[in-house]
Amino acid sequence: MDILNQFGVQPILLAAQVVNFLILLFILKRFMYKPLLKVLEERKRKIADGLKNAEEIERKLIETNEKMDLMITKASSEAQKIRDESRKEAAVFIEETKSKGEKIAADIIKKGGESLKLEKEKMEVEIRSSLSELVMVALQKVTGKTLSKKDEKEMIEKEIKKLS
Amino acid sequence: MHEIVLKPEILGYFKSLPITNTLLVGWITIIVLALFSFVATRKVSLIPSGLQNLFELVIDFGYGTVEELSGEKRAKVFFPIVMTFFLFILVSNWMGLLPGFSTITFEHQPLLRSMNSDLNMTLALALISAFLTHTFAIHYLGILDYLKKWFSLNPIFLFVGFMEIVGEFTKIVSLSFRLFGNIFAGEVALLTIASIFAFVIPLPFYFLEIIVGFVQAAVFMMLTLVFMVLLSRKHEAH
Repeated sequence: MDILNQFGVQPILLAAQVVNFLILLFILKRFMYKPLLKVLEERKRKIADGLKNAEEIERKLIETNEKMDLMITKASSEAQKIRDESRKEAAVFIEETKSKGEKIAADIIKKGGESLKLEKEKMEVEIRSSLSELVMVALQKVTGKTLSKKDEKEMIEKEIKKLS
Repeated sequence: MHEIVLKPEILGYFKSLPITNTLLVGWITIIVLALFSFVATRKVSLIPSGLQNLFELVIDFGYGTVEELSGEKRAKVFFPIVMTFFLFILVSNWMGLLPGFSTITFEHQPLLRSMNSDLNMTLALALISAFLTHTFAIHYLGILDYLKKWFSLNPIFLFVGFMEIVGEFTKIVSLSFRLFGNIFAGEVALLTIASIFAFVIPLPFYFLEIIVGFVQAAVFMMLTLVFMVLLSRKHEAH
């Protein structure tokens, strides 16, 4: 062991270094490896979770988009249907109103015609009576005498008949 | 400038424990590493910053390497030891390059000397490495399987086993002398160059020593790890 002597190896120094190493091992284990490995593990887990979540979100987004597209097409087809229906209804309504209006107009025209006829007849009657009076007066003036009521009437009527 | 000596210089005695300059540097290294780890993990947050970030990088890389070689279960056991070897050797190697080492004197002796330029320190590390390696082997294999690694009824394998026992001692020697030799040679080279011309010219050698310091720490760490993994693995049936 002469060679060890030459290098100055002493058991007590070896022991001191072993103690050094053990102290350092303890300190580093307690204050460096443990907390750092823990945080590394935690971060790894968090990242994994985050990636999983991101995937989930992406999937959901796609799903939602699909759903939205479906809903839009459904809604637009429904809207188309509603529009068609309302158009049809409107056409029917217009048709109905038109026919109703025509009927009403026809009625009005008819009624107007009737009342006109009535008026005409009334006027005719009026004219006739006034005419008879006029004729009477004229006759009195011409004949110079008053006719009996009976004669008068007969004559007037005869005249009127001739007139009309 | 003092002459080159293999033995570490003894600064004084604490009872019967000789305080050598390398031992002193060992203590300083421990204090520095302890301070760094305190500061780095004082406020551990999920979003890393500053020192935490740096040490996370180192720890993550180290743990990844250990896990890859030894599997998740054993990594938890191997990692702290292997990583401590790495950090201890790396920091002490790099500290040995700081100005003041082997220039500041105390009672005509250099006060500071790179830790691993003393065989005591490297041999102690190698012995710890070997001791732990065999302890783990016994722990994982059981004493019977462990002994079967070395002893066999078949004379050829008995001889192989004997060779392997010799190999185990060689491992200790190679681990300790590799580290010691590299760092000691670096010290000598730096001293020699600096004594020839102290400006600019030593710079490339300093860069070299930075690399050597890292490489030696990594080699020690990897070898220890590989020995641990290999020895605690079940022997294939012959």
